[in-house]
Amino acid sequence: MECAFAITGKDFVLIASDMSAGRSIIQMKSNENKITPVGPNLAMACGGEPGDTSRFADYVDRNLRLYHIRNNFPLPPPSAASWVRRILAESIRSRSPYAVNVLLGGFDTTTSKPHLYWLDYLGTKADIPYAAQGVGMYVTLSTMDKWWYENIERREALDVLNKCVDEVKKRVTIKFDFNCVLIDKDGVHSLDLKSQDPIAELEAKVAAMKPSDPEPIIPSSDAPAIAAA
Amino acid sequence: MNAIIQNLSTPSHLPTTEEDELKGYGNLDEMGRIKGMQIPRVPDPTAFLNLYTDSMSSNPEAKIKLAHGTTTLAFRFKGGIIVAVDSRATAGSYIASGTVKKVIEINPYLLGTMAGGAADCQYWETYLGMRCRLYELRNKERISVAAASKILSNIVYGYKGRGLSMGTMICGWDKTGPALFYVDSEGQRLKGDLFSVGSGSTFAYGVLDQGYSYDLSDEEAQELGRRSIIAAGHRDAFSGNTCNLYHVRENGWEFIGNYDVSQQWYEYEAKKKAAREAASSEMAVEV
Amino acid sequence: MFRFNFSLLSAYLNPSSLVLPTAAAISLTVFSPDGHLFQVEYALEAVRRGTCAVGVRGQKCVVLGVEKKSALQLQDPRTVRKVAMLDDHICVAFAGLTADGRILIDRARIECQSHRLTVEDPVSVEYITKYVAGIQQKYTQSGGVRPFGISTLIVGFDPHDTVPRLYQTEPSGIYSAWKACAIGRSSKTVREFLEKNFTEGLERDEAIKLTVKSLLEVVQTGAKNIEISVMESYGVITNLEQMEIEKIVATIEAEKEAEAERKRQRVVATQAGQATMAMGSSAPSGTSTPQPPSGVTAPGGESGVQ
Repeated sequence: MECAFAITGKDFVLIASDMSAGRSIIQMKSNENKITPVGPNLAMACGGEPGDTSRFADYVDRNLRLYHIRNNFPLPPPSAASWVRRILAESIRSRSPYAVNVLLGGFDTTTSKPHLYWLDYLGTKADIPYAAQGVGMYVTLSTMDKWWYENIERREALDVLNKCVDEVKKRVTIKFDFNCVLIDKDGVHSLDLKSQDPIAELEAKVAAMKPSDPEPIIPSSDAPAIAAA
Repeated sequence: MNAIIQNLSTPSHLPTTEEDELKGYGNLDEMGRIKGMQIPRVPDPTAFLNLYTDSMSSNPEAKIKLAHGTTTLAFRFKGGIIVAVDSRATAGSYIASGTVKKVIEINPYLLGTMAGGAADCQYWETYLGMRCRLYELRNKERISVAAASKILSNIVYGYKGRGLSMGTMICGWDKTGPALFYVDSEGQRLKGDLFSVGSGSTFAYGVLDQGYSYDLSDEEAQELGRRSIIAAGHRDAFSGNTCNLYHVRENGWEFIGNYDVSQQWYEYEAKKKAAREAASSEMAVEV
Repeated sequence: MFRFNFSLLSAYLNPSSLVLPTAAAISLTVFSPDGHLFQVEYALEAVRRGTCAVGVRGQKCVVLGVEKKSALQLQDPRTVRKVAMLDDHICVAFAGLTADGRILIDRARIECQSHRLTVEDPVSVEYITKYVAGIQQKYTQSGGVRPFGISTLIVGFDPHDTVPRLYQTEPSGIYSAWKACAIGRSSKTVREFLEKNFTEGLERDEAIKLTVKSLLEVVQTGAKNIEISVMESYGVITNLEQMEIEKIVATIEAEKEAEAERKRQRVVATQAGQATMAMGSSAPSGTSTPQPPSGVTAPGGESGVQ
């Protein structure tokens, strides 16, 4: 039982996901992060079979990191999406498939374009501007259809996202808490949905950090300036 | 059949020659990992298990009732971690034992709890203890709780869908301070402050959640753990007999005590009654 | 133990892939009658012919310095690197056969990520050193393979720790921890220099200076053939710019020049003193006996830079 959605805008991608984890009717944790940064400008929200999800995220994360260290350059979002799709497609044909659905969002620093991919456990991949996964799909897709427009600005996109969160809270019987990340050219930033103006907070944080080094969420992103064999 | 057994062992460590088989010790390979596991010689072992045991299902027709039904809990607070469990083992509706140790002492700094299949928990957590010791010898430092729980999680995830049944909490103190992880046979692994596992966990949560705060004193925390297990032991048919209580601190875990559930329950009842009477008599005086 | 997809990573780690398909290949590394493993000793010789690399441990940092071969006129110098990151917090330099080094580095990089995947924590410096040395040892005892012709210097910080670490591995599979160490061409000279000049608790700039100074013992061409990397804490690593290295080399040269100058003046002074003494003590010949110049000017004088 999970719920995730994502929106692309002019120069960014927003991804939000629920944070519940449990067994049958018991919620064992309400603050489990399900959005994994898998590169300097790439993040992934995983839903599906418990156990498979976190393992799949770790597996993708480590392999993309290995690619980054080996080549001194991170795999761009379109290539990463193709790779993740291939892993899922191979997995479904194996003895023990990963039952995982994925929203993969990233900012391509080579073309300065945001990307969002919707992938499911069968190996389907779709490149779309906004997407939903899990139970939230039934109530929020129409919300996004109505409010999203091309090259949407950050604050407007966050409004749409909040509309989706509100809709899920209103119409889905299960109670969810959400967390959210914004991915842009500077990296993967977590947003506090509860605050008054998360975008302003983020801008202040980025401005304070700018001169020296990028966002420390992935401390590794600047290190491999030296890596190369 | 061989294919299945091979599939269970680590792909990168399949013995290729007889010489390779000689490496390692007993059923362990040279890296100290389990090479394989015996499986019923039938076409579909999982279906076979389902037919005769209640490991994957609550099949009432099953001839073999595996020991499960438990209440275990653990929570983190400022003084460390409290671990409390009951001691009843049931097989179907039959109480197989009332004196089971459901806390497995992995090493002086690590505890594991048992819920689900008793055999699975006992075997794999003992094995985890061995892996932790090997880690310690190889790396000259104690294993972190995160790493220990991850090792266990990796093992059971490898057997996913093959009938393992366990829900365990790995508790300990490492360089990062007190840490608590929930690991189950689905492959789920959660880091958290408060967990309860087993058939009686709902009742334990009912008491635990109401009394929990990070700033409890040592005595308050121990009492909360004990009280929650007693509550579950009273309500859940598959939990009870006695409560075992452990406290994990910086210098390792300590066994606090063993408490009889029924005895404690009536003491709590008596105390509650006495408190109410005292309150009503005070009211009467004031009037 | 792992499910299918994990084997993608672990396939690389398979030690049996080390043994080539022709299974019963005979080991090339066999004992000589007097107990030597000649192949391993030849590998060490390959290391001795490789460019020099120096590691120095300071109070809060660890410095790696390598001698860089001059790139040919039409060669892109960016493709020739001797220092590589293994993970966010671990860095390696090597001396010997560069191609062998590449293989070893890739295996170590995979292990770093694999370790994170299986136990969640990053590797410790000693762990990855042991792993690299383990691979090197395997190649001295397996059939149909030759030992790695490289020695490595592995530096970094352990997770949750502030102590800088420096390890060395050799083709035989030996590994050891050091305060300061040199491998490759003329490593003996450099190591002796380090033994004489190393002090405990060096600050960042002092450690860098010592590294450059020791490299200048063997690098004739100065700053343009030196590469310096400094790791200051977990995951914080910087490559010094050419300009910075040149500046350090210049100060070292100036210091040496000043030292030489002082010595020369002292010699002149003593000579003058002796001359006057000789004059005073009725030496009829008038020619003072000059000091043998070789004994005075040699130590420290102009030996480094040409």
